[in-house]
Amino acid sequence: MAFGPAVAAAQQADPLTHVDNVRTFFGLSPRIVVWIVVQLHLLFAAFVVGVPWFTVAVEIIGWRKGDVRYDRLAREFAKLFTATFATTAALGGLFTFTLFGLYPRFSNYFFGIFSPIMYVYGGIFLAETAILYLYYHAWDRLQERKGLHILLGLALIVVGTSIVFIGSSMSSYMMAPTGVDETGAFVGTTWEAFTNPLLIPVVIHRLLGNLTFGGFVVGAYAAVRFLTSKTAEDRAHYDWMGYVGNFVGLMGLIPLPFAGYYLGREVYSVSPVMGNNMMGGDFSWAFIIQAMLVGLLFILGNYYLWSGMRRIPGAERYQKYIKFYIVVLIACIAVWLTPRNLPLSATEELALGGQVHPLLGALGLMSTKNAVINLIILTTFLSFLLYRRANKTDLVPVSRQGMATKGMVMLAGLVSVAILGWYAWRLFTLDPADLDLTPDRVGYFRFTGLLLVIAMGAAVASVVLTLRDRGHLAQGLYFAVVTTEAVGVLGVFGFIVTTAANPFLRQLAAGQWLILMTGLILISAIDLALFRRAKNIGGIRWGDIAERSQYALIALCVIIIMTMGMMAYVRSGLREDWHIYGVMRDTSQWAYTPSIATMTRMVGGITVTFLAAISFLFWLTNLTGRRPPRESAGDGERS
Amino acid sequence: MSWLKVAAFTLVLVGLFVWAGAALTDASGNIRHISPGEDVSVANGDAIFWGAGKCHTCHAVGPRGTSVRGPNLGDSPVGPPIGARAAERAAERTATLGRAVSATDYLVESLSDPSAYVVSGFKDEMPVIYEPPIALTPNQLRSVVLYLQSLGGSPAVDEIELPPAALQPSRGPSLPPGAALLEGDPDRGRELFFDAAGPAACGGCHRVADEGADIGPELTNVAGTRSAGFIAESILEPAATIAGGYETWVIETADGRILDGLILRSTADSLWIARSATDEIALAQDEVARRRELETSLMPDNFAETLSVRDLSDLLAFLRTLR
Repeated sequence: MAFGPAVAAAQQADPLTHVDNVRTFFGLSPRIVVWIVVQLHLLFAAFVVGVPWFTVAVEIIGWRKGDVRYDRLAREFAKLFTATFATTAALGGLFTFTLFGLYPRFSNYFFGIFSPIMYVYGGIFLAETAILYLYYHAWDRLQERKGLHILLGLALIVVGTSIVFIGSSMSSYMMAPTGVDETGAFVGTTWEAFTNPLLIPVVIHRLLGNLTFGGFVVGAYAAVRFLTSKTAEDRAHYDWMGYVGNFVGLMGLIPLPFAGYYLGREVYSVSPVMGNNMMGGDFSWAFIIQAMLVGLLFILGNYYLWSGMRRIPGAERYQKYIKFYIVVLIACIAVWLTPRNLPLSATEELALGGQVHPLLGALGLMSTKNAVINLIILTTFLSFLLYRRANKTDLVPVSRQGMATKGMVMLAGLVSVAILGWYAWRLFTLDPADLDLTPDRVGYFRFTGLLLVIAMGAAVASVVLTLRDRGHLAQGLYFAVVTTEAVGVLGVFGFIVTTAANPFLRQLAAGQWLILMTGLILISAIDLALFRRAKNIGGIRWGDIAERSQYALIALCVIIIMTMGMMAYVRSGLREDWHIYGVMRDTSQWAYTPSIATMTRMVGGITVTFLAAISFLFWLTNLTGRRPPRESAGDGERS
Repeated sequence: MSWLKVAAFTLVLVGLFVWAGAALTDASGNIRHISPGEDVSVANGDAIFWGAGKCHTCHAVGPRGTSVRGPNLGDSPVGPPIGARAAERAAERTATLGRAVSATDYLVESLSDPSAYVVSGFKDEMPVIYEPPIALTPNQLRSVVLYLQSLGGSPAVDEIELPPAALQPSRGPSLPPGAALLEGDPDRGRELFFDAAGPAACGGCHRVADEGADIGPELTNVAGTRSAGFIAESILEPAATIAGGYETWVIETADGRILDGLILRSTADSLWIARSATDEIALAQDEVARRRELETSLMPDNFAETLSVRDLSDLLAFLRTLR
C-alpha cells in the first residue's frame, strides 16, 4: 500500500509550523544531493582561492630576484587555477539551484536575509572573473610592467578573499544566527547577519585551509608530472614544483590547529551545547579520525622533507637526527588521538573499566593535546631548519653582516617581545569575574603571565647573543624556553587549571600558542641571519629524489581533501536538526546526523570525484596549452 | 603505468578512510536519535540527562561521565550528590533572595535560569534547557528534575513548579504557518486510536490524558512537540526513532527462558517486563542471566499493511489535535 502521499502531505502541513518544505531529487535524499554538490564546489573554490596567494608570492620572489624560473613556476600555478575556475563557478551555480529547488522554504527565508549581499557577491564574482583571466592572459604582455601584473595578482587575492568572507558569513550565520527575536523572526539587518560571531574564526580557518589545500594539490600535480616525466629536465622542474607545493602546504598547516582551536573556542562561546556536542558528543569520534588525518599530514610532510635531503650535498650531517623526530612525531600523534569524552554505552564503559582509561585517559585532556600539537609543530619546524642548513657551511658571523640582517633579528625580537608583553599584560590585568571565577583564582593568571615575561627575557637574550655571534646558542636558548613553557610547564599546568579554574583554559592555550609563535618568528629570523652568505657545499640536485617521496605528496593531497570533507561534515552536523541553529528546524525525514561510516563513504566518494574531475581539467589544460620553457636541470640556486 | 599506480594508490588511501569509518561505526554504534519520551519519571530524566538533553556533555555524575565544564552532580569534590547538595544551595538562595527557596525550587531554577546561581569555579554558560537548541518540553524538564532529585535525595514530582516561560511551546521556525491542514477526520481518528478491535488499537499501549495504557510513550501533547511527518514516520516505521525508556529488551533467565519486552521498572531485587498492558512478568534480579537491548520497537511494524490511507490520515488528524 502506498503511503507516500499521506506522509508527504503530513510533512508539508504541520500546524505548529514545524514545516520543512523539502523536495527530493528523482527520489534521492535532498540532503545527499546538496552535500555532494556543495562539497565539490567548496573543494574547487578552495583551490581557486588558495593558489593565487602563493602564485603571487612566487612571482614577487622571481621579480625581486630577477630570476625568470620563479616567474615561470608562478605562471604554471596560474594555469592550474585558471583551468578550474569555470568548473568552480558552474558548481556554485548548481549549488544555488539545488538549494532553491530542494529546500525552497529554507532558501526563501535564508536568502531573504542575505539578498542585499547576494548582489555584492555577484559583483565581486564578476570582478574576480575579469581579474583572473586578465592576470593569466596578460602575463606576457605585462612582462615589462611586472609591478602592474603583480598588482593584478594582489587584486585577485583581495576579491577571492572577499568571496570567502561572503560565503563564510552564510555558513557561519547558520551556526550563529544574529538579529533574531524570541519568536525566531529575523528583525536585524543584513550587516548584522553578515558579521555574526563565527564569521572571523571561520574565515581565518578557511583561508589557512585553502592555502594548505592549494599547496598540497599543486604538490600532487607536480608529483604525478614527475612520475610521468620522460626527461631529467622535466623531473627536475616538477621536483622543484612539488617541493614548493609541500612547503606552502606545511606553511598553511602549521597555524591551522590554532585556527581550529580558535574556531572551536568561538563555537563554545556561541553555544556551549554545540561546542560540547563537537568534542564530547556525536562528533567526538570524527575528531579522532581528524587527529589521525592531520597527524598523517605532518608525518608525510616531514617525510617528504627528509627524503628531499638526499638531493642536498652535506645533508648527511643531519640524517642522524631524523630518527628522533620520527619517534617524537609518532608519540605526539598517539597522544593527540587519545579519546576522552566519547559517548560510551554502559557495556563499553564496563569493558573499558571506566569512562576513560585510568592512566591513558589523562592524555585525552585538551591541555595535553595542546601541548603535543605544539611539539609536533616544533618538530616540523626543526625539519625545515635542518633542510635549510643542509648544504651550508663556513658561516659569516652576524657581526660582520649588514644592518639589514641585524635589523631583521632585532625586529623579530621586538615583535616577539611585543606579542608576549601584550598578552602578559592582559593576563596580569584580567579580572577573574570576567571568567566567572572568584578573586582567589587570579594566581593562575599571574603564573601564566610570569612565564610569558620569562619568555620575553629569553627573547631579548637571544637577540643579544645573535648579535654577538652566538646565534646557535641563541637559537638553542629560545627553543629550550619555548619548548619548556609551551609544551612542558603549561601542558602540565593545564591539568591543574582544568579542575581549579576551568574557564581560564582558553587563555592558557592562547598563551601557549603565542609563546610558540614567537619561537617560530625569532628562531627563523636568527636562522636567516646565521646562514646568510654562508658557503654552499653543493647545489641542490633537483630531480634526484626517490619515487616514493612523490607518493607522499600525492597522499598529502588525498588526505587534505578527505580532512576538509570531514570537517565540513562536522561543521554542518553540529547544527544537528537545525537549518539555522536554534531558529529554523529541519523537520524532514532527513534531519538526522549521519554516522561516521556514512560520512567516510560520502567524503571518500567526493574525494575520488574531485580528483578525477581536477585531473581531467589539468589534462585538458596540458593538452591544449603550451608548456612553458624551462632551464636545464640540476641548478642549485632555487630553494 | 605511472598513472595507474597513482590511481590505485589514491583508491587504496580512500578505501582505508572508508574502512576506518565503517570500523569506528561498528565499534561505537550507529548514531541513533532517540527522542525523549513525555512520561514524567526518574528513568526518563536519566535518559534525557545522558541523551537528548545533552547535560552529560558538561556534567559528570560521580564516576559516570568525564565532562568537567560544569560541576560534577554526583558525590564528588564539589560536594554530595546534587539531590542532597540542593538543600544547601537552597539555603544560600533563600538568604540571597529573602524568600523561601526549597531544594526542588533550586533545581528548577538551575535548569530554567542557570545564570541566577553559578557554582564557584565554573563559567556562566549553561543554556536554558527549555529554549532552543535543546528545547525540552515541560514534562521532560520535570523528568530531569526528578532525576536530579534522585541523586542523593527523594524524587517528588508534586514539588516541581515550573516557571511560566517553561510551559510555553518551544520556539518554532520563523516561517509562515503551515498551509492547508492534512485532510482527515479527527473524530474518526480518535475512534480508531481507542478501538481495541480496530486496525490501529493505539490505546492498548499509548495513553492520551486519562485513557489508554502506559506501554508506549504518552501522547497527550504529542502534536505540541512533534511534527506531523515525524508522527507519520513513527506509525509506519516505529523503530526509526525509539523514545528513551521504551527500548525493547531481550532477557535470558538463569533457567534458559528467553523473554522480550519493555522493562517497566527495575529495583535492586526485581525486574518487571511487559509486551503489552496485560502481559506483565516479574522476575527476581538473580533470575536474570543476561539482557540485551534490541534495535527494533515493541510497536507493530506492519501498519503499512493494516491501515488504509484514509485510516492513517484520520489518525494523524486526531494526533495533531493533541497539544
